[in-house]
Amino acid sequence: MATATTTAQVSEAEILPEQQTLWSDAWRRLKRNRLALVATIYLVFLIVVALVALVYTPYRMSAVGIAPTYAPPSAAHWFGADSIGRDVLSRLMVGAQVSLIVGVGTQLLVIAVGVPIGLLAGYYRGWLDSVLTFIINVFYGIPDLLVAMIMVFLLGPSLTNIIVAIVVTRWMDMARLMRGQTMSLREREFIEAARASGAKPARILFGHIFPNALGPIIVQATFGVPAAILFEAFLSFLGVGVQPPTPSWGSMASDGISALEYAPHIVLVPSIALSLTLLAFNFLGDGLRDALDPRQKR
Amino acid sequence: MATPILQVRDLRTQFMTDGGIVTAVDGVSFDLHQGESLGIVGESGSGKSVTALSLLRLVPDPGRVVGGKVLFKNQDLLQLTDDEIREVRGRDISMIFQDPQSSLNPVLRTGFQIDEAMLAHGRPKAEAHARTVDLLKQVRIPAAESRVKDFPHQLSGGMRQRAMIAMGLSNAPQILIADEPTTALDVTVQAQILELLGDLNRELGAAVIMITHNMGVVAGLCTRVIVMYAGQIVEQGTVEQIFANPQHPYTWSLLRSMPRVDAVRHERLRSIEGIAPDLLHPPAGCRFHPRCPFRIEKCYTDEPVLEEHGPDNLAACWVTMDRARKEMGADDLVDIRPGAGSGVHKGQVK
Ligand SMILES: Nc1ncnc2c1ncn2[C@@H]1O[C@H](COP(=O)(O)OP(=O)(O)OP(=O)(O)O)[C@@H](O)[C@H]1O
Ligand SMILES: [Mg+2]
Repeated sequence: MATATTTAQVSEAEILPEQQTLWSDAWRRLKRNRLALVATIYLVFLIVVALVALVYTPYRMSAVGIAPTYAPPSAAHWFGADSIGRDVLSRLMVGAQVSLIVGVGTQLLVIAVGVPIGLLAGYYRGWLDSVLTFIINVFYGIPDLLVAMIMVFLLGPSLTNIIVAIVVTRWMDMARLMRGQTMSLREREFIEAARASGAKPARILFGHIFPNALGPIIVQATFGVPAAILFEAFLSFLGVGVQPPTPSWGSMASDGISALEYAPHIVLVPSIALSLTLLAFNFLGDGLRDALDPRQKR
Repeated sequence: MATPILQVRDLRTQFMTDGGIVTAVDGVSFDLHQGESLGIVGESGSGKSVTALSLLRLVPDPGRVVGGKVLFKNQDLLQLTDDEIREVRGRDISMIFQDPQSSLNPVLRTGFQIDEAMLAHGRPKAEAHARTVDLLKQVRIPAAESRVKDFPHQLSGGMRQRAMIAMGLSNAPQILIADEPTTALDVTVQAQILELLGDLNRELGAAVIMITHNMGVVAGLCTRVIVMYAGQIVEQGTVEQIFANPQHPYTWSLLRSMPRVDAVRHERLRSIEGIAPDLLHPPAGCRFHPRCPFRIEKCYTDEPVLEEHGPDNLAACWVTMDRARKEMGADDLVDIRPGAGSGVHKGQVK
């Protein structure tokens, strides 16, 4: 079996005059993974919904009393109404924006913070590595929820501040990943060749090492997205997250919790949306990990 | 002769390993003249690559150049600042590595990587880009215009090495160091690459330092040869002299173990008998003495230095092959293991 696979690969590589690039290869492998494909479709749908919500929602998401309070799902209000008669679907759509902004925004910032730190620690090693590793460990030591709550409390609970608070408590995994990647990549011959051709350190770090670590970075960030979304939902559930009238899936669930018995849809709808989204990002992350794994050629 | 373009004096490079200090390059001195082609040969582990890396201060951790001078146009490269030496790398002196598979960045397009080698030394982007295609043509890559867009894995091994050579030549360096540029390639491709290097050496007038295991490669490409053993130069001379009349027993046995017919096109030479010395605990006296069929008592205790043995030849040996031939019947020796055949033993000759 293993031998047959290898042989097939070799002949394929020989016959194909123009091999596909790394990325199209990865995409081909990703498409073959059913769960990842479904997850991707769901996420594309979610992004479309969030974009549509910028210009259109069935009702104004903050309009109070447009439906009977606690109204169950109906043709007019697909996901029913909440405790003060707001349309849950409209709020869910805007909540998708919040979740996606938090999820993607934190990970972009996490990359912006973690990657340079990891690159520096892994490339220069020595005392710089010791200092940076120490800092990373200190941050691992702090209780993230507590610190995030305190930060949001001090800075004020805006979307930006929530993102900052999540980044501050969650950048270390990315730095550590990048440090490890750098340590092994710096020993590769093409890095030596780049140094021998007179490339500057910044060029070597960002032009040579970083692109080679892009696969693992993307996978790590993809797994980071649902973690951040959940973190935000939790903060909002506790009331220290996104502030009214902007809905977050976390605060929507929190609003409905007292009416759980007679109007469960208020809690269920955002919770299911949250779960599906977390699941989708995790499946996508798994799929990407397999698709981008350089050891796996099929 | 004009002053050499590169003068290496008493170069010493050490690795601080857990087991102790390994002196991988131990007092190496040589000259390189403008446009010449110099071979450095020696077994695996003799310090050829570390010597080359030391010249450009590229020795990896835990290694360090601990002494000596590397005078390039009368400027000591070992004294330059980090920024200054970076300017020298790839502009004045460039290097080509053994395995073209791994010396190109797999995720960047080949042409872009060659562009970059020029951008690093301040050439404008458009100009660099145009020159890349010319360079690929110069190293005889077919359909160069479309190849610049290829990723390294889309090129064959030979083409990748050509691309590496193109990159090495991109800033018109005065010295090109090729560290076993053909060992990873198959035989016919090896010959083509060597031919290309020879042509470029003649056409462009860049001096070439050719590092190799293979005496045949040296014969085909070089005018002068340095033979290294255990971090030291044991013999140095013109190709004609080294091949016709080697003075160091190590050189002699390297040549004897060389495949006889048309060596350039065949696999690397078989290693000679005995094991290479442990650089953590190098033997006292002459480092080659445990493997030398012609050793005398002095070889056990006194370290020989490079001395002139005829015009244009330096060898570090107490006996030398002239004497081994005359007095020890070297030419009749079949088995060249220490002590075998000739019956020359410790203490027999003076
Ligand atoms: N990273 C390292 N750590 C410790 N010692 C090293 C390291 N690199 C090289 N050395 C030492 O330097 C010696 C010379 O190595 P070098 O790579 O120069 O040999 P070489 O002549 O190029 O051999 P080859 O023909 O196999 O390339 C080795 O025998 C080893 O003891
Ligand atoms: Mg070597």
